[in-house]
Parts: sequence; structure tokens; C-alpha cells
Amino acid sequence: MIAFVSGGARSGKSAFAESLVREYQRQRGGARYYLATAMPGDAEMAARIARHRVERGDAWRTLEAATLDLALAEVEPASVLLLDCLTLWASRVLFELDLEASAALAQLERALAKARTADMALVVVSNDINEGMPPEDDASWRYLALLQAAHCRVAAEADCVVQVVAGLPQVWKGSLP
Amino acid sequence: MQLVIGGACAGKRGLVQRWYPHARWQAQEDAARQAILPAPGETLVVSGWAGWIRAALAAAPGDDDALRLALIERLDALRAAETESAAEVILIVEEMGRGIVPMGAERRRLRDLNGWLAQDAAARCERVWYVRHGLYRRLS
Repeated sequence: MIAFVSGGARSGKSAFAESLVREYQRQRGGARYYLATAMPGDAEMAARIARHRVERGDAWRTLEAATLDLALAEVEPASVLLLDCLTLWASRVLFELDLEASAALAQLERALAKARTADMALVVVSNDINEGMPPEDDASWRYLALLQAAHCRVAAEADCVVQVVAGLPQVWKGSLP
Repeated sequence: MQLVIGGACAGKRGLVQRWYPHARWQAQEDAARQAILPAPGETLVVSGWAGWIRAALAAAPGDDDALRLALIERLDALRAAETESAAEVILIVEEMGRGIVPMGAERRRLRDLNGWLAQDAAARCERVWYVRHGLYRRLS
């Protein structure tokens, strides 16, 4: 089971995705993992990560790894995972790890395949950033193009696609559990 | 006439290519001086509207109403030609109005004109599709 949840900033997408994970775990059992994509680059980011961790509670096993491959290697089969979020993953692979977009998308593809073969329930969260003015610089265009390619790929693969608006889930594909 | 609207890299082109693999594609920005019109019986996809607006803003500073009317004339000509020649016209327009207000006047004008274009196109189309992350919904 793969679900894709996205929305604007502070739309409630993370809280909704966490509720989705809890429901999948209630139905399927298995361990509950949180795949962290954010690294605390400054005090504000550290506080943001800490706030999310407190809000999630103690029932989560947190995975922090440089790549999705390394993170998913630690996950038990038939687990429930939350990947929050793709915007930070895209930023890291492009600007910290200096990966080409094709290599980054291949990494994502392997993660989706692993979720399928290991019978995981994977909930992917991301931020919608492509409906404002188009970027003016090349780096921002590269980032937008990679993130959108990732969004389209995850949405195509997902069993359930949800847009969160003001905390309210709008289902684009499949159905909620 | 149909309108396909969505954000940057949302999957608009891929969707239209799947629906109409044999369509002819033409960009407005490549035809600044002459109208793009469908040939009898063909399916014509018209994109590149933002490029046309950018060029027009540079050529005609200050008169946004005239530019909006020029865009409406192009839409009306496309719709009339579609009816007369039993053609199918698909317009691809980018959604760019949901971010913060741009600092520069020219980008603010581009955003305004692009939004008016989307409204004017939707009012003239039988079907309007919204594309988001490769998925789509019919809006009208």
C-alpha cells in the first residue's frame, strides 16, 4: 500500500498523514517508522524537527539516513512508514549530495519498489510548490522539475492520493482506509 | 475547445500527448504576429501563452487591458476556426497565481494577464481540466 499526501504550507498534511499511518497500522499491524528527511541546519529547523517529534509521540521508530536506500534497509517487512517530506529529500539529494535528477529519481523508484516487495504501507508527504510564479533561476528550476517529477511518479504509483486543504483531505485517487 | 490548466511540471503535456497522440502542437510565443489556427479536421494543441505574454509586456508596457483584449481575440479566433473547420483545439495554460505577490512589476503583470487568460479561456471552452501531479479532474 502506497499513499501520497500533499498540500500547501501548514495545510495539515503531516497531521493527516500521521493519522493515515496510524490507521494502516491498526488494520495491518507491524512496526511504525518515521523516515526523517530533514537535517537541522539552523536553530529554526532544529526547533521545527523537535516540534514534529513531540507531536508524533513515542510510538514511532525514527530513521535518519543519507539516502532512502539506507533508511529502507533498516525497515522490517510489513511495516508502516511515513516519509515526511519529499521537498526536503529533493533539496538534500540535489544540493547536498549533488545527485543528478535521474539518480535521485532512481533512488525514489527503488524505495517504491522496496515498499511493494516488502509489503510495507508507505505514506509519502510533500509540499505543493508549483502553482505560483515560475522560478527565474536555473537552480530553482532544477529543484522544481525534480520535485514535480517525483510527485508525478509517486502519484502514478500510489494506491491513494490525497490533497490536504485547511486540514481537510481531498481524495484524488483511490480511497481512504 | 478544451482548456488544460495546472502548475509548472504538473504533467499537462504528458496528459494531452496521451489523449491526442497525433495532434499538432504550436506555441503562441512562436507566432507573435500571426494567429495560430487549426486546419480542417485536425487536432491542434496551443501552448506557450506565458511566453507570448512576456514578449507582449516587453513590447507594450503599461496597457494590460489591450493585451487582455488581444488574448481574447486569439481565443475567439481559435474557437471560430474550430467550429468552421470541424477541428479540435486544446489550450494548455500554466497556473501561476498561487504563490506570493512578485516583487517586480513585470512579473506581477504577467501573473495578472495569465490569470485573466485562464478565466477568459475557461469561459470559452466546453471542457476544462485541472492537472495536478499527473492526475486530472474535470472542472467544467
